[in-house]
Amino acid sequence: MIGDEILVTVMGVSGHTVRLGIAAPAGVPIYREEIWLAVKEENRAAAAAHADALPSQLPEPSTGQQTAGEQAQPRAADSEGSTGAPATGPAAEPNAAGGPSGEP
Amino acid sequence: MSVTFQSIRFGPVEIPDDAVIEFPHGLIGLGGSRYALIDRNPGTGFLWLHSLEDPALALPVVSPHQFFASFSLEIAPEDRERTGIEDLAGASIYVTVRATPNPLDITANLRGPIVIRDGRGYQVINTSQDAPLQAPLFTLPAATTQIAS
Repeated sequence: MIGDEILVTVMGVSGHTVRLGIAAPAGVPIYREEIWLAVKEENRAAAAAHADALPSQLPEPSTGQQTAGEQAQPRAADSEGSTGAPATGPAAEPNAAGGPSGEP
Repeated sequence: MSVTFQSIRFGPVEIPDDAVIEFPHGLIGLGGSRYALIDRNPGTGFLWLHSLEDPALALPVVSPHQFFASFSLEIAPEDRERTGIEDLAGASIYVTVRATPNPLDITANLRGPIVIRDGRGYQVINTSQDAPLQAPLFTLPAATTQIAS
């Protein structure tokens, strides 16, 4: 028991894995600690912003087709290899055509 | 009727009564029970979620839908029970932002959105698969395109 309202029980053990059951009143949210801590950390970081820390005008939002992250969003099978749409990848470098420089 | 609160960032701030948002559970790790959204950067979409009790406590937030077309919010049953929010109709959703001098480094936390409805606010955990803690608000290709055109 934690306090008199939260009950933690070991549901089972297999190898190195322990399954825990947590029973708590409806008002008590239960999360894995790392998610909770990570959100807490983001809150703290956000709250550290100075009054003038925000841009006064916006660059182009990253909306578009792309999701936000540059890194490995499982963005399904989206690439149809159609005509245009070079929107993916680090654009702006005219790199795609013939390899960069030194071909042996 | 209006309420005035102190802000170390902005000095005294006056808001209408009905702009006060009650946070029964506070913000995760930060607490606080009364906040207000104030717009100090009109037209940018950036707002400050400012504590009425702590003059130093304020977080920049944005509406996720403005920046992330594919944003979706899934709330676990416990959270729905805790917040009384069964569906999101009529609710406003905001995500906290890490501000940085370089706009390209600004990230938003899609994992812990803030849901506001009927004068009450809750920070919930987004159980959606695609909810990074630090999602860049702006991306380089988009910015480059804009400059080039």
